[in-house]
Amino acid sequence: MAPQLDEYVEAEIQRLLTESGAIAEQGITLQRRDHLLVLGGEVESAQRRDEICRQITANFPDLEIACDIGIVRAAAPSEVEEIS
Amino acid sequence: MIRIAAVGDVHVDRDVLGRYRPALEQLPGVADALLVAGDLTRHGTVEEAECMASEFGDLGVPVVVVLGNHDHQSDQQDAVSDVLRQAGLTVLEGDTTVLEINGHRLGIAGVKGFGGGFAGACASSFGEREMKNFVGTTEAVAERLGAALRGLDCDALVALTHYAPIPETLVGEPLEIYPFLGSYLLGQAIDSAPTALALHGHAHHGSERGRTPGGVPVRNVAHPVIKQAYNVYQLLSADVDAGLARI
Repeated sequence: MAPQLDEYVEAEIQRLLTESGAIAEQGITLQRRDHLLVLGGEVESAQRRDEICRQITANFPDLEIACDIGIVRAAAPSEVEEIS
Repeated sequence: MIRIAAVGDVHVDRDVLGRYRPALEQLPGVADALLVAGDLTRHGTVEEAECMASEFGDLGVPVVVVLGNHDHQSDQQDAVSDVLRQAGLTVLEGDTTVLEINGHRLGIAGVKGFGGGFAGACASSFGEREMKNFVGTTEAVAERLGAALRGLDCDALVALTHYAPIPETLVGEPLEIYPFLGSYLLGQAIDSAPTALALHGHAHHGSERGRTPGGVPVRNVAHPVIKQAYNVYQLLSADVDAGLARI
């Protein structure tokens, strides 16, 4: 039977993502599905995204997660906005 | 004409080195200065500050920054600022800098800022000492920002903060955390001077554009919001440079 994915688990994961020294992300969103946790948001590198998934899996081994975290693009802009 | 490049929440560490650099090296051709709206590092360590200095130093344009809450995480914010200053970056916290650009004086006042919320749902200095300290911190920071802005005599005035001065640029964030993302007191400080533009970060899921109650344009330049290395804003309108389209 899949583990219960309740609000307390969600809160625990949210704090883990911020307070864990290896992650320190405040911009990750968590969406609970029936037996699945969907991770969203964007981080600065693929290593950071992978570490988030690794830590959640290590701390909640019975939890099924889907990682939709993206890597923020860092290209130069092609436009300028005139402020008035 | 003054062109300001801006970004926030770049969270530089070793794994980010080189990601921004190709875009940053184009800056001298597209902007007169780069402003960075806090959260320069992940945990606020000296090592991360050195990475930030390496990635954002020696750009050929002045770089002006404020720290963010992440830059305070290791209680080494003074050492972080020292590393950045040694690399030639200007670090503001309640003070100002003036840049001479194309015959104009660009004044920048910067503070990290703090939380407290916005009209109709803001914290008050009442009750427990911890609550009074929380609100008092924002009050003191906002007073310093307002005084810094009012003390500048420039052709264009820019306010640079990490925390948000208005709720409109937080839209997209959970309403419940607005008090941790900014304060109306920062907006009030910005409105106390003839500010041309206010830039902030912190709200990764927020919105890009808004205005203070007094009408000052506000831009949330958090990297996950603008989704590129930096945005470019033009003040004191003139011809738009070739190669850049007006939006």
